[in-house]
Amino acid sequence: MRKQFKVAGALAAAAILALTGCSSSGAAGGNGGGDDDGTFKVIAFTSGNQTPVGAWWVKAVTEKAEELGWDLTMIQGDFDFQKMNPAVESAIGQGADVILDGYTDVSSIASIVTAAKDAEIPIFAMDAGTEETDAFVTNITTDQQAIVDKTVEGIGDAIGGLEGKTVMVIGHDPHAGIRYRSRLAIEAFEAAGATIAGGEIQQVTSPASGRTEALNFVADYLSANPGGLDAVWAGWDDAALGAAQALAEDESTAVVTGVDALAETIAAIEAGGNMLATIEQPWPTVLDMLVEDVEKYRETGELPSKRFVAVDVTLVTKENAADITPSDKLG
Amino acid sequence: MTTQKESTTTTAVVVQQSKAAGRLLISGGTVVALILLILFFFLMRPDTFLSFVNVRNILYQISILAIIAGAQTIVMVLGDFDLSVGATSSLAGAVTSVLLLQENGLGVALLAGLAVGLIVGLVNGILIAYLKMSAFVATLATMTSVIGLGYLVTGGTTVFGMPAEFNQLGQGRFLNIPLPVYFAVAISVLIWAGLRFTTVGRRWYAIGGNVEVARLSGVNVRFARLLAFTLAGIISAIGGILLAARLGSAAAEQGGDNTLFSVAAVFLGMTVIRSGAANLVGTMIGVAIIGVMSNGLNILGVNAYVQQVVTGLIIIAAVTLSSLKTRET
Repeated sequence: MRKQFKVAGALAAAAILALTGCSSSGAAGGNGGGDDDGTFKVIAFTSGNQTPVGAWWVKAVTEKAEELGWDLTMIQGDFDFQKMNPAVESAIGQGADVILDGYTDVSSIASIVTAAKDAEIPIFAMDAGTEETDAFVTNITTDQQAIVDKTVEGIGDAIGGLEGKTVMVIGHDPHAGIRYRSRLAIEAFEAAGATIAGGEIQQVTSPASGRTEALNFVADYLSANPGGLDAVWAGWDDAALGAAQALAEDESTAVVTGVDALAETIAAIEAGGNMLATIEQPWPTVLDMLVEDVEKYRETGELPSKRFVAVDVTLVTKENAADITPSDKLG
Repeated sequence: MTTQKESTTTTAVVVQQSKAAGRLLISGGTVVALILLILFFFLMRPDTFLSFVNVRNILYQISILAIIAGAQTIVMVLGDFDLSVGATSSLAGAVTSVLLLQENGLGVALLAGLAVGLIVGLVNGILIAYLKMSAFVATLATMTSVIGLGYLVTGGTTVFGMPAEFNQLGQGRFLNIPLPVYFAVAISVLIWAGLRFTTVGRRWYAIGGNVEVARLSGVNVRFARLLAFTLAGIISAIGGILLAARLGSAAAEQGGDNTLFSVAAVFLGMTVIRSGAANLVGTMIGVAIIGVMSNGLNILGVNAYVQQVVTGLIIIAAVTLSSLKTRET
């Protein structure tokens, strides 16, 4: 029995030594410039790989890595943080020069941030939160205030001003970006003298059924208040399309705006129904900016000067819809 | 002495009356709940809630769920359940939509969508009836794979732009009533008749009552179970195809929430009849409760998160009632 314990102890000690050896040999320590052998190790992760934009990001980052000679470890989380976070932490344990976060909010990756800080590996992020945080050396995203300003102005122009008008705002709080811009939209509509239908943001509970839920919100509201809506502001396109369908079925002339510039939304805008506008977020440009920052760090060891960068967006209307590349056709 | 006797008699009558009221509440609780819900929302919004437009709105909103809950009822009659109905419906809608976008004929696309339901149902049936897997594990596994297939078929995006003749199936109206309502009624009547008047329907109930007794009575339990899951798959596929037509688009997890709601509807319906078994009429009452509650709370402007909490509480209440009834019988 004692002999067995000794063997087990020796094996455990060997394993600890081996693991320690693994992690210490690979850690980059934030010097930029890559490992001793010159390879530049990058860990990229996204939880949103099952969305069209997330799938594009995975493909685009992989292509950039090949082009720039990065040694890339791509981790796709499928919205499952219990699976993704340990996988990223494990990759961090094996050492890297840089971590890239695509479309994964900082609130969901606290353990990754801690592991990266411990290993002194900088995280470069895109669309990973709506405000500055010390979790990332930079987070480049789209300007939420610009999204709201442009959509609210578009709605106001289409319905002859917002004073005294009734607008439904559809949101989804678990998504940081949608949560933030929905609140900004409420503020903007109320400041312009509009009444918010139902008195608050109509919350979609599941993105998978977002279109049906939005459709039901609008249909039920119009049942109770015939002709009672002038516009619907939705935090993302899928919900906007559901709302537009409910309005069309009710033969309402109210207008809808979304965010995302999906192909289906652009087609609906061009068709000239209730779907008034959407927002194009320039993700390829954002990725280029992020890669530029990473390459600068690789060459000089210099970190980006701003921890948070908000990029401008484009309002997509019937006039410019034909010139826009839909976000689900980027890849 | 006389006073004491009278008092005892009065107490006995009161106890008997309250017991009878309790039994009535247990046996008719779900129906009573539906009536109370309708009354409550009518009183809150007398000008709106029972208007033609709103009743039509409710029927339209619950039509797809009614079809999928019908499928769930069939397997729950046997004492099983199917976690893959929502995923199957989504995949069927996606396959049909993608084939239509590839310029296949409507008939071909619809048949392919139904074939999806048939195949998933068959796989479920084989796993459960012949490979002896538990319904929970088997349908959880198929649900996972079917969702993955849905993402593969749609390329992870929402497919749209199907021909108008297809969208008409979900958006068209006859006598100012949306077509999915007619489909839901027709399918429900067929399921009800199948469960009540056919040999296979009786065999399903026999299996649900006591599988050993059914086997000893000469029922081919494995084949009956296979048939139930296959039929549930096909009916779920019909629901999914109609959902894609109703929304004019299809996505991998579009009808996912219908799984939970279909199970909830069947549980609610199980409280309606004395035996506590799954039954189609009860399921439709369950579907109506879910639809009325969602519509009514939306009309009153109640927060969607509160609606979720209330739905969960009603399911708990229904299951509690159901178990009380089982103990009574």
